Amino acid sequence: MVLLIVGALALLAGLMILSGASPLGSLVTLLKGSLGTPAAISGTLRETTPLLILGLAVFLALRAGLFNIGAEGQFLLGAVACTWVNLRIPGFGGLILGTLAGAIAGALWALPAGLIKAYRNGHEVITTIMLNSVAVYLTTALVAGPMKDPKQDSPTTADLVAGSRLPWLYDHAPVQLSSALLLGLILTALVALWLRKTVAGYELQAVGASPGAAKYAGIDNRRVVLAAMCSSGAIAGIAGVVQVLAYEGRFYAGISPGYGFDALGVALLAGGSAWGVIPASLLFGVLAKGGTSLQLDEVPKGITTVVLGLIILVAAALRYRKVSTDV
Amino acid sequence: MTGITKRFGAVTALDRVDLQVASGTLHAVVGENGAGKTTLMRILYGVFGPDEGTVKLSNDQVRSFKTSRDAIAAGIGMVSQHYGIIPALSCLQNLILGAEGGAILDIRSAETRAQTLATRMGFEFDWHQDASTLSPAGAQKLEILKLLWREAKIMILDEPTAMLSPADSDALFQSMRKLASEGATVILVTHRLPEVMDHCSRVTVLRGGKLIETKDVADTDAKRLAALIIGSSSASAAPPSDAIAPPAEIGAPMLELKDLVVRGVRGEDALKQVNLNVRAGELLGIAGVDGSGQRELFQSILGLVRAKEGQILLGGQDSTKLKAIDRIRLGLRAIPEDRHEEAVIEEWSLEQNSALGLQRLEPLSTKGLVNTSARADWAAKVAAKFNTKHGGLKLPMGSLSGGNQQRFVAGRAIESQPKLILAFQPARGLDIRGTADVYAAIRERCREGAAAIVVSFDLDELIENCDRIVAMNHGRIHQPSANESRDRDAIGRLMVGAV
Repeated sequence: MVLLIVGALALLAGLMILSGASPLGSLVTLLKGSLGTPAAISGTLRETTPLLILGLAVFLALRAGLFNIGAEGQFLLGAVACTWVNLRIPGFGGLILGTLAGAIAGALWALPAGLIKAYRNGHEVITTIMLNSVAVYLTTALVAGPMKDPKQDSPTTADLVAGSRLPWLYDHAPVQLSSALLLGLILTALVALWLRKTVAGYELQAVGASPGAAKYAGIDNRRVVLAAMCSSGAIAGIAGVVQVLAYEGRFYAGISPGYGFDALGVALLAGGSAWGVIPASLLFGVLAKGGTSLQLDEVPKGITTVVLGLIILVAAALRYRKVSTDV
Repeated sequence: MTGITKRFGAVTALDRVDLQVASGTLHAVVGENGAGKTTLMRILYGVFGPDEGTVKLSNDQVRSFKTSRDAIAAGIGMVSQHYGIIPALSCLQNLILGAEGGAILDIRSAETRAQTLATRMGFEFDWHQDASTLSPAGAQKLEILKLLWREAKIMILDEPTAMLSPADSDALFQSMRKLASEGATVILVTHRLPEVMDHCSRVTVLRGGKLIETKDVADTDAKRLAALIIGSSSASAAPPSDAIAPPAEIGAPMLELKDLVVRGVRGEDALKQVNLNVRAGELLGIAGVDGSGQRELFQSILGLVRAKEGQILLGGQDSTKLKAIDRIRLGLRAIPEDRHEEAVIEEWSLEQNSALGLQRLEPLSTKGLVNTSARADWAAKVAAKFNTKHGGLKLPMGSLSGGNQQRFVAGRAIESQPKLILAFQPARGLDIRGTADVYAAIRERCREGAAAIVVSFDLDELIENCDRIVAMNHGRIHQPSANESRDRDAIGRLMVGAV
């Protein structure tokens, strides 16, 4: 993993030279911008939070052999459902109910993909991609129409009241640390333990590793596929909830810069253990935050996306380098 | 091949093994699981290189092949235990795959050449059919044609008859002998001594990675070969002669099938009004050529496919609509047909694999939580049952040889307090001793009051080991008459539907 990061950074340097910037200088800018100051670190952790929870969602589905490309859409639905509830029920009750609503909305958004996969063997990649498009336009329509704050020009809801937001653990501007990150870490631990310690987790991974062997082990593959897809959707929905309640305080069109897609990389990079999602999302967070600083140096932000792509490719190559040579 | 040595880590798989094969002969390589047969063949085929030793072909070429591509170029071909046929491609596409002879396909001339090859071998293929429609025997024939297509001079066949009916096996050996008479060299890796005695001219015995002896088949017999394979010290591992004596008492019915109809994958009735009773204490053998409905029979008893009509009673209780996991709770255990796809998860550890199918039973889990320490103990017990050779219970299942995986799978089913064991070719990939051990253990469970159903394509294996044998043909079960219950020919006739 460490080697990988070094390798990717080296490739990044090469690309910098190509784009006419000083690699070393840019690297310094990137690291300074993401980890150099307490404020930068808190910004990086803010970027890390949705990536962590979404990465976990994709990771869980991946353990069941499902590629949930739909995390982006489930995130949006979770965020919008939570905002809707919180605008009506402010305060602590709204926080709890909003979280529930977000999780349920995410799960429901994953449900059709799960049903089609389990009962008609339609590929989840196709269905979730299509559901993403529906989710983007549906949520945009909602905040441009019924949920729009009439006082605003842009498509956005009104701000939530402070009482229904997730509390800060540390709040002395410019350094802020949200309880959302803690929530993400707790979720990660829960998923890791659930996969390791419960029979249901064992069965889910059996289905992912070998549907045939799972069937002969008395496991109902369809039910597991459905449950895994909906759980993954629920976690992605919670990521949307957290983004609204911890950081944004409202829902607006374009709330996600594509977290759901970065989460695919996070989950792939995480390897075989849920704990791996933590360093993977942190790496993505560093690059996302540092990339913004790079932009100020007039290095295209897209370059960090290139790096992420490279990292994922190298990770995949390393992971699958050993293929059993069964003649 | 001279002085071949190969080590995998600390394990020496081959220790200075010599093998000379004369051209134009059928040469058998025999030995127990883990004796080094497959490793030796893989070195010849260039899957990996030897640590020491040389490979020499007839034209005085001294080399060990770095890759299979080199080996193929030198005229060596191999058919492994798992066929390399791609179901979605047509027979012709499969045949020429990897040896298309240019960037642009010339389908017409390819078909002409394919037809010539097939006619020469006495095979028949519908070239444009999907390969998925092929029977195992057809797939095996296509694999052999693939070698001929590549103009292989030396053909390595690893357990070629494991999936074939006796008639298909005989046909296969006839074509092999024909090839040998035309100058090809065939190396046969097998566990089945009758094949060696009937068809091969020379035989090499390996044991524990060492060369024991190479002999003319004419100078030996099956008994002496078996002794060489097992080693004299443990020759007593052969089943005792009273093993097939009927069990002391036949008890209550464990399984009753009443007019069972089950749909096959293509929507046809794969089981047609099947009636079958198996009672406690009974070891029932089901004979039949592959594809006679054995698969659907097992899947319906296990609860993996739904019965269209009829009833399934387990231990007297109507279980037709019971879920698979609940049938496991009633004591149903399976040794599935396809080890890779149905019985183990190769990337998982032995410990994780030991719980497959039993994951919801005590003590492996309580109240939905996995009990890892109980699982570790259990895995050790499963591995010990048939002496599975492994480097550690935490290592992936894929690190074991096929035979050792099969031992583990059999141990898992037999040791887990079964009431009814369904075993599909339980001895597949096992050597003589492993086969005897597995059957002995199944019989022991039957004596303790369980029942077992064994499907095998090897009729002799069933006659040797089962209390009662029925034959399956086209989705129906035929009972041999009382005075022919162990008559090889009579059962053979039932298998092909000549009632």
